[in-house]
Amino acid sequence: MSARALTATAMAFRDQRRRPLALILLVVVPAYVITRSIAATLGTPRRIGLPDGVWVTTTMRDLHGAGMGGLAIAFVVGLVGVFVMQSALEGDRRLVLAGFRPGETVLARLLVLLAATALVVGVSALVTALNFTPASWPPLIAAMILIGLIYGAIGALAGAALDKLAATYLILFVVKSDVGIVQSPMFSATPGRLAFLLPSYGPSRAMYDGAFSQSFHAGSELLIGLGWLAVLGVAVYLVLRRAVGSRT
Amino acid sequence: MLSAALPTMTAFVREHLRAPLTLVLLIWIPGFFVLIFASVLGDFAKALGGTLAAQSATAISAGWAAAFLSGTLSFFQVSSSRGADRRLADAGLGPGRVAFARIGASSAIGIAVSAVAFVTLWLRSGIGHPLHAGVAILSFAAIYIGLGALIGAFVRGALEGSLLVILVFALDAFSGPQMTSSGAFAWTPTRDAADLLIAAAGGQGSPGADWLGMAAVALGALAVALGAFWLSARTRS
Repeated sequence: MSARALTATAMAFRDQRRRPLALILLVVVPAYVITRSIAATLGTPRRIGLPDGVWVTTTMRDLHGAGMGGLAIAFVVGLVGVFVMQSALEGDRRLVLAGFRPGETVLARLLVLLAATALVVGVSALVTALNFTPASWPPLIAAMILIGLIYGAIGALAGAALDKLAATYLILFVVKSDVGIVQSPMFSATPGRLAFLLPSYGPSRAMYDGAFSQSFHAGSELLIGLGWLAVLGVAVYLVLRRAVGSRT
Repeated sequence: MLSAALPTMTAFVREHLRAPLTLVLLIWIPGFFVLIFASVLGDFAKALGGTLAAQSATAISAGWAAAFLSGTLSFFQVSSSRGADRRLADAGLGPGRVAFARIGASSAIGIAVSAVAFVTLWLRSGIGHPLHAGVAILSFAAIYIGLGALIGAFVRGALEGSLLVILVFALDAFSGPQMTSSGAFAWTPTRDAADLLIAAAGGQGSPGADWLGMAAVALGALAVALGAFWLSARTRS
């Protein structure tokens, strides 16, 4: 990493440190939503389908334990993606005019987004562990990270393309539709026929597989999720590089 | 006052709807909440320990959609427009007229969102007391216009503000007596509006105390919003 990139990264993190309320809310919002939704749910029995045709009987309460982390992460990191990138578009063009390379400023913002994702995933995993015991942690954690990265990228793209209000509404709509309803076994024992077209299909399947099965069945689903991440990651990099590099 | 504020209010509405996607989402999300989410909310509410029948669950989703969209909009109205509003006030409009124009714009969009939610609800599952339900959904919007503006008055960052709106919304929605039997909080902003909306969906009237409580909270919220818009438009020396 060049000295300029290091400077841009240090400044981007300092910018975040000046906003302690944002850091507090990145911890409090997922912690409250996960804890409260699990605590408020009854142990109504529910039979659900996991990848590879495995069926398990669990409870609605445990389904909230398994899934609310992913939903909270997608909402919060998606919004972080929107506003980190809007900040980048406001300030980083000036850095580029002052001699920074577009890639250096974009890298700094992406590192901030990654750090926020790590924080939100860490908090969500910890709070989930306090309320729910999954069958296998590694797939659950991997799925949480993947959901965070995918929705952070979607938020970043929305933030680059739309104004704040439209981007916020879009994140609300896409996260609720995808993670909250279409992929959730609370509403449908297995995802619908076209569920695989939505971004959180792979990590959501892996998340519920890890939560309720000792053995791992969601390899192909996880690959689909990694494919989404690769495409979205490249798109974010290119869109931002172009946006901060454009001279109007 | 009104003749001066009206053109500004129209301009503020246009400002928010200039992105076509915002308009599409303002229409789509309430309909989506009512149609899709409500179709599963009856079972979901039972699993949460509440006592909602499917029809009542559908109704409450209309209120929540109006609430969340209006709260977010109101927050961004205050937080994103502070500088421009001060300049408008300094240019002769005055902070009072700017505040009236802002609250008029928020209310107009809130009414539009509520209308979409109301019509979708009516078409989806019918409403026993349409007038009661309409007033209750509008109250959800009004209460969150106040909450969003209040957050915007004190929080400048878009990320912090939108996360606070989500947190308040989650506290309110999860703690309502309709979604949980545990009753974490004795009072939440939309409690009376939710009681009234649920009763209206089932064709039942509501006691006068619920109406009074809802009216007091909704009007209080609009007064708070007006104060927040005025505060953000006034010049600081």
